[in-house]
Amino acid sequence: MSDPSSINGGTAVAMVGKDCIAIASDMRLGSQSLGVSNNFEKIFNYDHVFFGLTGLASDVITVNENFRTKTNLYKMREERSIEPEKFANLVSSSLYERRFGPWFVGPIVAGLNSKTGKPFICGFDSIGCIDFAKDFVVSGTASDQLFGMCEALYEPNLEPEDLFECISQSLLNAADRDALSGWGAVVYIVTKDKVVKRYLKSRQD
Amino acid sequence: MSRRYDSRTTIFSPEGRLYQVEYALEAINHAGTAIGIMAKDGIAIVAERKVTSKLLEQDSSAEKMYILNENTLCGVAGMTADAGILINYIRESSQEYLKIYNKEPPLEHIVKHVCNLKQGYTQYGGLRPFGVSFLFAGYDDRFGFQLYTSNPSGNYSGWKATSIGANNSSAQTILKQEYKDDLDLEDAKKLALKVLSKTTDSTKLTSEKVEFSTVSLASNGHVQLKIWKPEEIDKLLQESGVLEDTEEDK
Amino acid sequence: MDIILGIRLKESTLFATSKAFTRGISVLKATDDKTIDLNTHNMMAYTGESGDTTQFAEHIKANVQLFGLREGYDMESSEIASFVRNQLATSLRSRKPYQVQVLIGGANNEGEGFLSMIDYLGTRCDLPYAAHGYAAFYTMSLLDHHYKDDISLDDGLRLLKLCEEELTKRMPMDFKGLNVKIVDKEGIRTIDF
Repeated sequence: MSDPSSINGGTAVAMVGKDCIAIASDMRLGSQSLGVSNNFEKIFNYDHVFFGLTGLASDVITVNENFRTKTNLYKMREERSIEPEKFANLVSSSLYERRFGPWFVGPIVAGLNSKTGKPFICGFDSIGCIDFAKDFVVSGTASDQLFGMCEALYEPNLEPEDLFECISQSLLNAADRDALSGWGAVVYIVTKDKVVKRYLKSRQD
Repeated sequence: MSRRYDSRTTIFSPEGRLYQVEYALEAINHAGTAIGIMAKDGIAIVAERKVTSKLLEQDSSAEKMYILNENTLCGVAGMTADAGILINYIRESSQEYLKIYNKEPPLEHIVKHVCNLKQGYTQYGGLRPFGVSFLFAGYDDRFGFQLYTSNPSGNYSGWKATSIGANNSSAQTILKQEYKDDLDLEDAKKLALKVLSKTTDSTKLTSEKVEFSTVSLASNGHVQLKIWKPEEIDKLLQESGVLEDTEEDK
Repeated sequence: MDIILGIRLKESTLFATSKAFTRGISVLKATDDKTIDLNTHNMMAYTGESGDTTQFAEHIKANVQLFGLREGYDMESSEIASFVRNQLATSLRSRKPYQVQVLIGGANNEGEGFLSMIDYLGTRCDLPYAAHGYAAFYTMSLLDHHYKDDISLDDGLRLLKLCEEELTKRMPMDFKGLNVKIVDKEGIRTIDF
């Protein structure tokens, strides 16, 4: 009950398709059982790198602000945007800096490498251990449910539109089995030359 | 006589001068020129890069133009190494401001901020002042486009058009004659190159010797900061007609 | 069991705070004001650990005023909300965190209302209507039902009346009525409710 990572609730998922990735989150922000907002997005992006953050909402905001700072400075110094693989390592080392007083977040990273076009996804624990995955990563209070849904629905090399269907159904049905997740959802489908953002209507209870 | 008061930055001479600060200003007066012109729809900054040797590897990225945050860039005259320290300081404090207020800092705020740091070196013991002057060009929603200069003493001032570095007084004389209030960015770009070509010692301007940047607004209202690439500068030099002018003058 | 309520309207923001000042089982005062004016067009309602609350509110006010003097213009609502969140989030990981929850409201330069809710953890949420503590359980359903985007001040006050009736009926203690304040482009004013 007083576990910081499940006070506010919320969940996120990322998937790899054929030359594309998808990343999605719910939009609930709660205070224990009370729903406070249905407009709290948990997916952020720093140019072409997409970043999902679940956990304690305060830390979600703080950690996003921190990485916005770091990626902005990186971009000015290096005169190019950070790549997903590099960003993943930046996340890892930044989280481990707080080994004995962590940010209570469950981050996931997704993106296409701007040079090679290779899809990249990974997840982390709250102290920065990277979980590289070929297929999908999940995070948040509905992560158990998401594992089940993704395991059932995922198949490799899906085209963008099919990947959208796959990730949306996985998220929606997982969130429906979690009291702390749901209240709308947002999905990003990222291909080489286009980013599509879609809001999903979902159960508002 | 002055020798006794030379070595310390923080000691007034009997005439009431701070020699180290004056020396720093003098050093900048020998550095490559930088010229900034503000137009109604943008700002152009042009700077002269001194090429010391043919054998020197040319860095492809700009040495004297730096993006500081979403709304601001700057041109530098003076010691590039010193500038690096200050630019990093400005970038980090801009990001800190963004983190606290979730808004880009107003342009004057960051100018004031870095000038406070510079001022410290004219007062606190033992260290030399930063040997850099800046041209800050940027946009914020309160005052629109703005152009500032700052120097090693920690003073700053806002301008419609100005220059720093070598020959800055002759550049400013020309600017005073040629500047008009209804200038647009295209005019400002051409004027900047024209003034540079007239004040510079080098015979012919090329992208190797010129750095160029602009601040403008995109159609969606976002601030556009652009540090021009060598090819683009060459093309701009060609179009502006300054190349022919200089040859006629010869 | 303090009541802290805020409603964002078309051209203003409405605040209602309970007048009772309680410690333990006693009501010590029936004319308490749980709000503070931050500048001409922004205010903050607060609740939490007594002591922390006033200390924190005055700290915020001082900084908002200082910003105005330094920068030559008044801080906007969204800037204040970001600043306050940053202070609370920083405080959360200090030796003794401020235990304060706040609502920040105001009218921006275009005269639109603004409302932001921040708890002691540093969770910030910009909302059309918000409440802290138990009051939220009783009023949110009413507000969900009756609130519409861009409602007028009169409709806002009628909605607030509904909330007050519900609170009086359901809250286990006498909260001694509500202090009601309005922020719009004219500034901040208290009204008889």
